[in-house]
Order: sequence, then structure tokens, then C-alpha cells
Amino acid sequence: MNAPTATASPPPLTRIAPDNWKLAILVGVLVSLVAVLAAPAAVSFWIVGAMAALIAAAFAINAYRRKYYGGLLVAPAIAVLFVMNIFPLLWSLGLSFFAYQSNQQSIRFVGLANYVKVLTSELTATANWLALINTAIFVIFTVAAQMIVGFLLAMLFAKQFPLRKYLLILVLTPMMLSVVASGVFFTYYYDPTFGILSYVVNSLTGEQFVLMSTKLGAVTGIVFADAWMWSPFVMLLVLAGLVSVPKYLYEAAAIDRVSKWRQFWTITFPYIRGLLMLALLFRTIEAFKLADLVILLTKGGNDTMTISYHLIRIANEQNKTSEGAAISYIMLFMVIVLTNLYLYLANRRSQGA
Amino acid sequence: MTVMTKMKGFAAAAGLAATLLTGAASYAVADEVTLTMAVPDWPPTRIMKKFFDEQYKPKSGNTVKLDVDFIPWPDFYTRVNASLTSGEQKYNFIVSDSQWLGAFVEGGYYRKINDLLDADPEFKKTLMNIHPNPLNAYSTYPYKSENYYGFPQFPDVLVNYARKDIICNEEEQKNFQAKYGKKLPCTGEELDAMTWDDFKNVGEFFRRKKGEMLAGAPAEDDFYGIAFQAGKGYDFSSMQINGFIWQMGGNIWDETQAPTGQAEGVVNSPEAVAALEKYLSMLEYMPPVAKTGTMDIFKSDELFREGKVAMNIDWIGLGEASLDPKSSKVSDKLVFGQMPGTMGPDGKIIRWSNIGGQPFVLTTWTTDAQIKEAVEFVKWWLSDDIQHQFAAGGGQSAVKSVYEDPKYVTYRPWNRAWAPQLDWQKDVWHVPQFFELLTQQQDQFDLAITGKQDAKTTLDNIAKFQQEVLKSGGLIQ
Amino acid sequence: MSGKVSILEALGFRKASGVGEAGWGRTLAAAIISFIYFLPVLFIIFTAIKPQDVALSVPPTLSPTSLFGLIPDQFVFTPTLENFGSVFERSMTVGGAPEPTGFDRYFFNSIVIASSSVLLALVIGTLAAFGFSRYPLKGNDTYLFIILTTRMLPAIVVIIPVILMFRAVGLSGSYTGIILLYTAFNLAFTIWMMKSFFDELSLDVEDAARIDGSSDVRVFFKIALPQVIAGLAATFVFGLILTWNEFLFALLLSGPDTRTVPVAMNQAVSSGGRGTDWTLLAAIETLFLIPVFLVTFFLQNHLLRGVTFGTVKR
Repeated sequence: MNAPTATASPPPLTRIAPDNWKLAILVGVLVSLVAVLAAPAAVSFWIVGAMAALIAAAFAINAYRRKYYGGLLVAPAIAVLFVMNIFPLLWSLGLSFFAYQSNQQSIRFVGLANYVKVLTSELTATANWLALINTAIFVIFTVAAQMIVGFLLAMLFAKQFPLRKYLLILVLTPMMLSVVASGVFFTYYYDPTFGILSYVVNSLTGEQFVLMSTKLGAVTGIVFADAWMWSPFVMLLVLAGLVSVPKYLYEAAAIDRVSKWRQFWTITFPYIRGLLMLALLFRTIEAFKLADLVILLTKGGNDTMTISYHLIRIANEQNKTSEGAAISYIMLFMVIVLTNLYLYLANRRSQGA
Repeated sequence: MTVMTKMKGFAAAAGLAATLLTGAASYAVADEVTLTMAVPDWPPTRIMKKFFDEQYKPKSGNTVKLDVDFIPWPDFYTRVNASLTSGEQKYNFIVSDSQWLGAFVEGGYYRKINDLLDADPEFKKTLMNIHPNPLNAYSTYPYKSENYYGFPQFPDVLVNYARKDIICNEEEQKNFQAKYGKKLPCTGEELDAMTWDDFKNVGEFFRRKKGEMLAGAPAEDDFYGIAFQAGKGYDFSSMQINGFIWQMGGNIWDETQAPTGQAEGVVNSPEAVAALEKYLSMLEYMPPVAKTGTMDIFKSDELFREGKVAMNIDWIGLGEASLDPKSSKVSDKLVFGQMPGTMGPDGKIIRWSNIGGQPFVLTTWTTDAQIKEAVEFVKWWLSDDIQHQFAAGGGQSAVKSVYEDPKYVTYRPWNRAWAPQLDWQKDVWHVPQFFELLTQQQDQFDLAITGKQDAKTTLDNIAKFQQEVLKSGGLIQ
Repeated sequence: MSGKVSILEALGFRKASGVGEAGWGRTLAAAIISFIYFLPVLFIIFTAIKPQDVALSVPPTLSPTSLFGLIPDQFVFTPTLENFGSVFERSMTVGGAPEPTGFDRYFFNSIVIASSSVLLALVIGTLAAFGFSRYPLKGNDTYLFIILTTRMLPAIVVIIPVILMFRAVGLSGSYTGIILLYTAFNLAFTIWMMKSFFDELSLDVEDAARIDGSSDVRVFFKIALPQVIAGLAATFVFGLILTWNEFLFALLLSGPDTRTVPVAMNQAVSSGGRGTDWTLLAAIETLFLIPVFLVTFFLQNHLLRGVTFGTVKR
């Protein structure tokens, strides 16, 4: 790794140079101030935007000339994320300490009261806890199913064989469907009167079959639909790792008569470990957000309410914004703990290896 | 801000230049007023827009444009709610379920129109020409007060959809008579006279397995006698259960009695429990999807259109699809009646039911110039001529002079059941806590529908929750 | 590969890198599994070419052809292309004349918004990933984790401030707004994904190039980037799929002119005063599938060619 070394000292404030970021800030702020005070909002917005771009450019050129590559490369991403994602997240974090309903005008600071309420209130906490437990169930089963099925599919497609690309695209298609369409069609597949599943079971057993009438059935139905849609995601990631294993390693291993099992762990696995981790991380995060399929398939009935759907009802339908924010930050805390656990275990493994 | 909005599309530069050039001049000439409207995307709103574009001539001489944002039904509330609560101030008119009135009036989004009514006697006359039950439901907050907010867009009630070919079949008629000692209803009038007990009998009688005889031929698939809404989503069981409760002498929490009216003891009164039990007792005769808690108004309608059910209680708003041979296997076999009722002690049928449909409302940020045009537009919309055209094109009208016109019943087969039912419509809570009350109640009803808890426990839980929520909201003392 | 591509090669008979090669036996196994996996999609596609009146028939109609009598008649339907026409033009009032539904516009919007935001995220994200991988900052992992947290919360939590912000700067209903938002939406995944690809590369080649006098920019473009084409392709495909089907932001931040297909699709879920219009929904979804399907198919070659000259790290 090359440590970035400063090759030139920064220019003094007064010199007009493209890398003089201090001057750029000064000019930018002054011009923006004048623009905001004097020009109408529509015009001043663009002027302020141009000034921000000017400052950013000065920063960028400065960083480039002095080889602060890390910051330079990362800066645009951080900027976009900050405006579009992190700022709104902080905003709702702030709101979680207030009593605020988005359809009412009053707002008042209440400290941790919202957190206490969503975790302990006699009236509403039970629903929150139940939803959390259900979410845990869904996370475990959907992620496990996706990892296993996705991995097996990737192994199936890892070797080159005739017609491979035409068969592979068939397996990739489910995740290209929009959740609305696939969810609505799964309600059809599971429908006891019109549905294919009931028709098949009915033809075989002669009994009427209603999958979604028990918790077991409803959870199975949702997990199946979700795993079917997103296993290809895991598969594609693992596959991208598998095909990047240099062939000569296997050839060398074959000469040394290393067993297939050992080949997998010593040659293949290091290449897919990072991507498996990535798949696990992103699928876990998405599983915590599982809501659309539940809404379409059960509306949370048969005890399948997830925390994310619960949150939609609280924050959107009932407009209890700050209560919703509190729930979502509790949820965020859990996801952070879990993902950190993953990362910790992964790092420990890789250091041990 | 406006500049930015115009930047979209291809003609950005040209549009911008044109705006700059003509912007100053347009102040001097006749005004152009744009009314922006958020509506669910379905025929009754599409036809409103069509009539407007084809027929509306503003009296003021201004150029009035109706800019309609058609939003698909399933996401309508989410979109409107986010727009209102974020302060986007985008829409002047909003089609709103009547129950949303409380939440959005208290938030300061819906505009009270009493001053407009007082200033314009003709406008007031137009509004007072609406049947009082729908008017109260669609316009007043608090419910049944003198504070007006909305105008009917598509008024709606529950009716009984039935299959002539099945229920009028001679064989079935004979067997039904033999089994229950009563005539199986066949005509619209006979359907009107049905009680819930008769309805239940129909359910029990027409439960046929695949291959069993049905109306003179072997049934091609399992067949069911009856269906009504029993779904967990939105209000897809409350709207039916409320009718049962009112008809059998119980009540829901009555907002017009606030703050002295209670939830505890009212919501879970013995009458209400008996009513819920009666509702639940019919589910076993319905298609199996009822067991999953997802038999909403659309599912039962679909089952009916696919010919799996003899009778279905559903909104008129879903009726057009059943008349269309492309989407309905029973389009030529239909007969409609009023929703069944409960026999009163005097031998007359009690028909209380929960009103459906939607009003549209004005928003508070609408400017005076827009309001002037908006009032003219509403007067035009509620005028007899347009309401007749609307009804003829698949809408409903709650305007007295329109639905009392003999022509009205000829527009659609269910219109016969329309006027008599208007007298029996009530509405569910208009209070700001509406969604909180509704979701908890729907969850509880779902537990009862899917057989996880009995009627008494269900209503006890609902009463307890409502008591606490309404107490902390200051609506119960 | 060199010279002409023969038909056999195009069909997948070429010798490619990878774990190894298997024969027709593997093809057969993969074909059976893939076909079963694909069935629910196939059913949707078939529903798109069904006449409306058999969409819900019992027993379900499964195939447009009897396959020379292999499939019993009761499962066979007569295919029609009518539903695809209805996507773009149909009567929106009762008994009214067919009118444009605006779906041509929605498809255009979806293509513009998804492709530009994914490409933008790919450019910004790949640069950032390279930065995180080769020039670690102080607290590198913390930055990375904060970036990841932006994906952890349901969209509904952040939507209100975003609406407010968009309104304040005049971005609501514009392409720019939704494209920027989707770019951010894709960044977390792009960065993590590309970083893991960069991390797997050997540094020896890059260092050697530097010693030979290549600039850092040249190292990035000529040495690092070509080695992660598989990663770029995979990231592009994933980003495209997620953005293509994103619903909530699109619902709340697009105007009538910038509405995307997933939002408009719900017209068919609750269509004109009834429940699901199955054939219409299937037709919309089938058409909507085609662009991502094609992109994925054509990027597959890159995806599977993989990295052939990378050497093992450590």
C-alpha cells in the first residue's frame, strides 16, 4: 500500500489557483449569501449549487495535487449519501426524541419517552415485540434458505457446460420481477379456489387445501416466495467468486492429488468467502425490511406481522412519526449488532486462516 | 422552484424561454386557473375528468384547467397522506375516504366550506339537495355537526349480488322450500326481503362439492352459497360487521355522544357480541379463502364473477366488472337486491349499514381565485344534468332530485336498491384516531374470523383499546 | 477467444475459464432444475398471453400449446396478444372508447431513471470502493459501516424528510431528484461489492506498474478496472434490478410525468373498481421484464468470464 505523501505545500489564501480551497470557500460563502439575500429562491438555489460545486472542485483539485487519493475518491459518494440518506436518517433520529405526529402541527421534546413507550407500553408494546419475534423468524428462515439454495445453484453453474448461459438466465429471472407482480401472483398460486398449489394437492389427496390458514402455512408461503425470488442474488454473487478462481490452482491441486473437499476449502472458499459474506450481509439487511410480501400475502394475518410492516402502519397509516422513528432505531440497533457480529466472525476467521 | 419543475421533459429550454417571455404578459389577460386534484384511478374519477374536459364551461370566463393526478387505488392513501403531512401543498382537491376527515381536518389540511356555503346560496342549495345520510358521512366533522368539508364524488352502499340462474332454478326452488319451509328468493324484491337468517340458509343450502348437482347440472368446481368481506386489510371486515352490530341493536363507539359516550360496555355489549357471533357463523358457508383472513371486497367479488358463489354482499363500486362479459362469467345471470337485514319486533326489516364511497374535499392552501373556480366546478358537478350523465356512465348519485327521477333505476340493475338503502346508512368514526382504531379492530376481527378467538374476547379487546386511546385523546371523559 | 465465433461456441461450447468443464450430463441436470425454478415466471408470461376469461379457470390453464397432445386439453388455452395492447391503450371509463394509458411514458421513465442512476452509482461507487480499498482513511471501516447503515432502515422512515427536502429545492416530481435518490440508494451496495472485488486483486501487478512509472490514474484504469469487469457487471445487474423495481420512493416522489412502471403497475392490481386484472398485470410485468432480462443476458458473458489473470493474494 502506498502511503500518500504530500508533494507540495498548500497555496496561500490570496493566490488565485484552482487548488486554493480556502479562497474558494470564502468566495463561495460570500456569493451565496448575496444570492440568498438578493435573488429569488429559484435563482439563488442554482447559484448556491454552483458555489458548492466550485468549493468541491477546489477541494478535489487540492486533494489530487497532493495525492490525498483516499479522500478524493470517497468524497463524491459520501456527499451523495449524506444529502440523500444520512441527513434524513439523522432527521428521524432527532424526531424519535420528540412527541410528534406528522398530521398534527405540535411538537414537543420528550427525551426517551418514545423508546420507553414502544418497548414497555401495555397498549402497544406487545405488538412491537411480536412483530420483532416474527421478523427474527423470517430473517432466519429466508436468509438460510437463500444462502443454501443460492450456493447450491452456484455450484451447479460453476462449471462450464453446453447451453449454460441459456439455463442460467432462467434461474436469474425471478429476482428481476417486481415484488408487486410476483407477490400478487403468489397469492394466486396459494389461493384455495383458483390456485395451482391447491389444485395439485386436491388432485392428489382429494382434500381441500388451504395453505395460508395456519401460521406454519403462512410463514412457509412467505419464506418460499422470498427465497425463490432472492436465492439467485446469492447465486450470482457466489458464482462471480467461483469463476474468478484461477484454473491453474486446480490443475496444481490435481497434480498433488488433493481431495475435492480439501480443494474446496483451500482453493475455492477463499475466493468466495468475501462474496458470501456480502450476500449474507445484504440479504440479512433486506430480510429485516421484509414487508411487501407480507402485505400482499397475509396482511400480517396468522401472526405474520413483521416489524417493517408494523412500522409502515405506525409511521404512515397512523402518522405516529416519532413513535415510528423510535421503533426503527431499535430495529437499526439490532441490525447493526447482528451485522457487526457477522463481520467480527468473518474477520476472526480470515485472520485465523 | 417553478423553474426547476419546468426543467423536466424535452422542451426544457424552450419552455423556460416561453415562460419568461409570456409570464409578465399573462397577468394582464384573462386568468388561467389550474385546479390540481388527487384521485384514485378508476372509472368514476376518469369519467369526472372526461366530463370536465368535454363539457365544463366556466362562468367566470377564465380558463380553468383540472389537473388530475390518477393514483392507483392500493397506494392512494399512502401517496395522499405523504403529500399532505409533508406539507407538499400540491393538491387543491383530494378524493378522501370519509373516515379520513378527522385526521386531516385536525391537521389543518382540509378546508371548512361553511363560509363558502353562506356566501353562495345556490351552492348551499346544491349541497343540501344531497340525502342527509351521505351528506353527513361525506361532509361533516365532527360527524353530524354543522361543519361542512366535502362533496360526494362516488357515493356507495353495500348491495346483494346474486345469480339468477342458480337461485331461480326450479329444482333448487323446490328443494329449498322443502328444507326451510320458505321460498328461495329469486327476484330483486324477494332478495330485498331477505334477513341474515335467510342468507345463512342460502349459504348452507348451496354448499356443493365438485360433481354434485347444481341447478340441474353437475358442479364443475366446489360451489358456495354466500360470501361477504372478511379480510384483514384496510376496513374489509369492519364495514360488514358494523352493519350487523347496528341492526341487532348494538353500537360501535358513538362519536356524536362524545365526550360522555363510552367504548367499554358499548362496543362489547351483549347485542354487539351476538351480532359478531352471527357474522362469524356464516363464514363456514363461504369459499375457503375466508379461513385465511384475506377474503376482502375484491376477493369475494372475484369469486362471484368467476361463478363460485350464489350471492355476494359487496359495494356497488365493484359492480361494473360483473356486468362486463369479459371480466365476468355471470354477466347475463345477475339480479341485485338490498343487503339483507334483521327482522325488527314490528315485522319490518332493520337495514342499518355502513356507508361506502368517497367525497372530495378542498385543501386549505387553495387560493381565493382557485376557490372561486372550485365552487363553480362543484356546483356543476352536483348539477342534475351532470349527475344524471355520471349515473348513466356507471356512477352513483346521492342528489335527491337525481336518484328520485324514475329514469335513475334504468341506468343500472342495482339502482333499484339504491334509494331505499340511503335511509339506512351510517358512518364509522370520523375522528383523528381513525386509523389507530381501525387497524386494531381489523386485527382483532381477523383473529375471530380465522377462528383464533371468540366474539366476546374480540369485542372486549377492542373496547378496552378504544377506551384507552379515546380517553388519552380526550374523546371519552 | 480468437477469430470467428462458431455457432457451437456461441451456444456455450467454447472453452472458458472457471472451475472446470462438465458435459451434457450437467446440462440435463441444470435444465431440469432451471426449468422448475423458472416455472412461476413462465406462468406469469403465459398469463400475459391468455384470454381474460380463462385467467382464473379451474383447473388452471397452463400452456398455450398441447405439445403434440402431451398436455390434456383442459390445461391448454388459445394464446392472444390482446393484453399487450391493453397495457398501452384501453378504455378507462365504463364502455368508453380506448384511450392511451400513459404506459409508454412510464416505460420511458423507468428506463431513463434506472439506467442513469445505476450508472451514476457505479461510477461514484467504484471510485469510492477503490479509494477504500487502496488508500484506507483513518477509520476506514467506520465509514464503510456507516455507508452500509443507509441500507438498513425501511424507506418509510426516511421518506418524509426527503419529501420536504425535495420540495424545498424544487426537486419533487423531477427526474433529477429521483435519479439522485436512487444513486444514493445504490451506492452502499456498489461500494461494498466493488470493494470486495478490489480487495481480492493482487497488489503485485499494480505495484510493478507503478515501479515502471505508471501514474495512479493509469493503474486504476488500465490494471485494476479491467480485472473487476465481472464485478462491475454483477454490480450493474444487481443495481439495475433493485432500482428497476423500486416502489416506495417512486410512488411518493414522482409526479404524473415521471411516474415509473412499478407504481403504475398497481393500476392492474386494483383495476377500475375491481380486484386484480390478472392478464393485464401479467402483460405489464412481462413487458417490464424484457429490458432487465436482456441487459442481464448480455452482461452474463462478462459475468462468467471472470478474472483470468488475477493472482492469489497473500
